[in-house]
Amino acid sequence: MEAAKAPIEGAEDGAGEALSVEFRAATKVYAGADRPAVDGLSLEVPAGEICVLVGPSGCGKTTAMRMANRMVEITDGDILIGGRSVRERSPAELRREIGYVIQQIGLFPHRTIAQNIATVPALLGWDRERAAARATELFEVIGLEPEMADRYPAQLSGGQQQRVGVARALAANPGVMLMDEPFGAVDPINRERLQNEFLRLQAELRKTILFVTHDIDEAIKMGDRVAVMREGGHLAQYATPAELLMAPADGFVEDFVGADRALKRLALMRVSDIDLWQAPLAYVGQPTAEVRVKLDGAEVPYALAVDSERRPLGWLSEADLRGETVPERPDTSPDPVLDERDVMRDALSDLLQAETRYAPVVDGEGRIAGVLSVEIISEFLTSDDALVEERPAAERPTG
Amino acid sequence: MLPDAVLVLAQGGDGFVRDPSEGATSCVAENDTVCIGWAFDNFDRWVTPTLEHLLLVSVSVAAGFLIAFGLALLSHGRRWLVPTFVGVTGVLYTIPSIALFLILLPITGRGTVTAIIALTLYNLQIIYRNIVTGLANVPEASRDAGRGMGMTGRQLLWRVELPLAVPEIIAGLRIATVSTVAIATLAIFAGAGGLGEVIYTQGLQNDVFKTAIVVGSGIAIAMAVAFDAFYLTGQRVISPWRTVRTV
Repeated sequence: MEAAKAPIEGAEDGAGEALSVEFRAATKVYAGADRPAVDGLSLEVPAGEICVLVGPSGCGKTTAMRMANRMVEITDGDILIGGRSVRERSPAELRREIGYVIQQIGLFPHRTIAQNIATVPALLGWDRERAAARATELFEVIGLEPEMADRYPAQLSGGQQQRVGVARALAANPGVMLMDEPFGAVDPINRERLQNEFLRLQAELRKTILFVTHDIDEAIKMGDRVAVMREGGHLAQYATPAELLMAPADGFVEDFVGADRALKRLALMRVSDIDLWQAPLAYVGQPTAEVRVKLDGAEVPYALAVDSERRPLGWLSEADLRGETVPERPDTSPDPVLDERDVMRDALSDLLQAETRYAPVVDGEGRIAGVLSVEIISEFLTSDDALVEERPAAERPTG
Repeated sequence: MLPDAVLVLAQGGDGFVRDPSEGATSCVAENDTVCIGWAFDNFDRWVTPTLEHLLLVSVSVAAGFLIAFGLALLSHGRRWLVPTFVGVTGVLYTIPSIALFLILLPITGRGTVTAIIALTLYNLQIIYRNIVTGLANVPEASRDAGRGMGMTGRQLLWRVELPLAVPEIIAGLRIATVSTVAIATLAIFAGAGGLGEVIYTQGLQNDVFKTAIVVGSGIAIAMAVAFDAFYLTGQRVISPWRTVRTV
């Protein structure tokens, strides 16, 4: 996935175009069960988006996903893929058009990596050359060395196997992918890497993806939209990650997204998403008298020395300001200098770690864009009505 | 000792009486030890029983495999059939071989057919159980992935489940073959020849002629070892994935 330079097989045969997925009161009642596993689930996933189904175990998220390719038969309601009911399709034919990735990966131990990847092409009757060419192409897409082609799954590490599992699901270029806890069995470090690789890949492929996880952090990270489900197969909330964190629909969702949802929201933002403050700028060589005038009533009570390209050099101390002109080397270093593309949570972490109130923020060229402070972040979070504690006062911790 | 009826059954092999005048050495006449030189000089004597034995084992293992395979396919996806098949083949397996020859005698008469039927019935249990175990041990994830990618039940069986069951199936064939090589030495009591002819007729019945007993048993052991090597080679060719080095 790192080397996604390879051209990715696309519209050449019409396949691969992302299709919308629509659940219409889809319901599953298992034989002998008194309650539905999925109860009247209705949601629409626009083509090319990742919809994460998340919830505690037993909430029906996997069942819901498996109804889409009829691995679980729908009891009532319907699911439309690209506007076509899945109930009208033959299950085998339908499944060949939908990528399928499961937590246990399920590579075939007796087949080589290349043969595993070519599973669906073989079922679709592609000729050998085309299937082999496609497998080679996917090797590049998922960042595996070509010499892995003739190895068997047992010879690969867990992370490599998971990449092969994704490649196998992509082989016939499906428009829709189902992924059931695809990174669940991988250690946290590899998991994060696989998630990032997959997001990069998805940015290029733009598949419609139903992604199941029990991990709310993964849901928020991976999802364009997140469907939070609760026991009994009910949809508790269907929203973008930001909406989910800002305005949980009810106590269940609020508990599920966790007490640290404010911090999670910061993980979704970049520094450029917030209105920064401006510090009085002091150009090197400028008379300090001019700077003192600017300091009067400024948002940030310290002057930031910058060079002619407006790159931050440091904060001016009282001693610096007593000089004639702005020095090239102010007493206080500008660190930490933040990039406006940084994730807000990391920026906050840098601020806290440096034990500083203000940090200059620069753009891609290193020029000053503004100043971030802990205050700005906390104001941003608290000014948002939805984030104000909604629980009754009695439940609030006292003191 | 064997019952009279069985001894009667065994009549009709080429009775061999050690006769010093027919070029027999003193070693043979004295029967104190195993006469290796004489055994090699009389190589021809062992060829026909060995080939007969090979035929008995090959045909009955092959037939046992075909029947067991058919039963396994039948009970695949109909799991309630499995205990029935295991029970029936298990009962067959417990019948003493000589008794089974006697039971079959009025129906199929003396000879190779009777022996092969009996030996085949003995194989069913081991081979069937191993095929069923092999299919049951296919990782659920591979099965789920196969179905989820659009394999039909038949495609899943032939492309995923059976190939993955090959090691267990071959393990079953190895056990069945080795035990058939041993049990087939009793086929002489069904009048089917084989190495039992050497061990029993030329050996035990012939004043316990040690050389014949040792040669017959030796060939049987060599045959079992050869079959085993054949299966192991076969498995390596059919299932190369089993022998790769893992990380």
